[in-house]
Amino acid sequence: MGDTVTVTFAFNRKTLRLRTDFTIAGSHCLLSTNSYNLLRHATPWQASEKQDDAPSFEMEILENASLDSLTGKLPHFRGARHLVFAMLEPRSFLGFDLLRRRVIGVLSSAAVHDRSFWNAQLLPITIGLIGTTLGVAPLHCACLDRNGDGILLAGVSGAGKSTLSAALAQRGFALVSDDWTYLSFRQSVLSAHGLAAPIKLLPHSVRYFPELSKHAPKKTMNGEIAYEVDASKLFRSPVKTSSRPKWLLFLERSAIPGCRFAPCRGEFVTQFFESNAERLPDELSAAKSARSQIIASLAACQSWSLRTGDDPHQTAEAIERFLAEV
Amino acid sequence: MALVDSTNYQDPLDLLRRFIPTPLRTRFRVGDSNVTVETNDFTLLPALPLNTAPADVHPADIEWKLVRDLDAPGLLEEPLLLSSGNLTVVGMGTACLLGLDHERRELLCFIGSDVDGRTFQEFLVPYFCRLTSQVPFVGAPELFPGSSSQSADA
Repeated sequence: MGDTVTVTFAFNRKTLRLRTDFTIAGSHCLLSTNSYNLLRHATPWQASEKQDDAPSFEMEILENASLDSLTGKLPHFRGARHLVFAMLEPRSFLGFDLLRRRVIGVLSSAAVHDRSFWNAQLLPITIGLIGTTLGVAPLHCACLDRNGDGILLAGVSGAGKSTLSAALAQRGFALVSDDWTYLSFRQSVLSAHGLAAPIKLLPHSVRYFPELSKHAPKKTMNGEIAYEVDASKLFRSPVKTSSRPKWLLFLERSAIPGCRFAPCRGEFVTQFFESNAERLPDELSAAKSARSQIIASLAACQSWSLRTGDDPHQTAEAIERFLAEV
Repeated sequence: MALVDSTNYQDPLDLLRRFIPTPLRTRFRVGDSNVTVETNDFTLLPALPLNTAPADVHPADIEWKLVRDLDAPGLLEEPLLLSSGNLTVVGMGTACLLGLDHERRELLCFIGSDVDGRTFQEFLVPYFCRLTSQVPFVGAPELFPGSSSQSADA
């Protein structure tokens, strides 16, 4: 490493000439960049009215063509105290300062030109990491909406949240998110946000959704092989970016056919989400408290465990019937 | 040699490896600066003059937290240095990820399992020293003297 070249990227008004702002999970972001493509990617996220409030967080992102060399590695994340590092593919490097609510990063041109990189990687990773410092709790659950009422589907990995979300979407529920939902509690209102990310279905899902056979499963960000599809196109189902959580279902697989609903206590809800949340360092104690407040407000929703031995379509039908009665 | 890491990253969830214990702690002199180093690996203690003065006489000017990352294989790659205001981050592939908070005077670094002691002492320690010398100054670090550097400002 003796004659190593350090490639230095300075972030300032000279190098970041372009600016825009947008809203993600109810949080206002100021984006500074040198890339017209990133401005275009941010456009669908812009608020319809001019935002006068100060940005909740800032992103400074440089595009650099010299980074265009695919290494084929999986994304790599590390964090120490208030700083987080992310190496993504196509070759990109980001640093997150969670105390100052800032993101700086350099992206390869391949990443910048790929809208799915923005929608399915950069935005979810950014709000997933920095969200807790903005009063947004990333929780591992799906969210659907019916007539303005949100239903959250939680459960351990492999419980079938995504396939059930797809089946509910086919029945007319609006999909908000199928994997990670971003909850906020502002002015006494609990809101669930999604990022319009593609729904991720494992290869065996083609058994329940034959329309998937026209698509090819591919390697996803975490290395899994899965279909990643736009629910609005594939299932012609409505998609929303936010909802007001009203119901919460904890999904469990069962070998016994049929669906059984049993009420859950608020303590269970709190314990489930607290124990599944990322541990936060002392430097982020305020964020930890805010997250606990959000989880506590979520525990006030009507909650049930749902043990199902049925397929996703039958389970979705049972949920629809059940919700009509409660 | 890295201390055995018995941390369970799943319960409670610590995907970012924030809570790898770094129980080894000592103090060094880097130029005029007092540096406190904490690490989980004896081989990541820099070969620098020890600061033997009592801590209350010469409190640390900056803290280096150096974490041996046993789950990050691979060798060092070309450093990418990003600098904005009080924050500098450097990525050398997954083998070395580094953040320097100028205001809080903290250098936080993950060093992969394949980075040997010689590379650490002969390349990374001088690199950290050069970064540390920038700390009192806010803003983008200048190109480092003694290393071949290329500005890639967009």
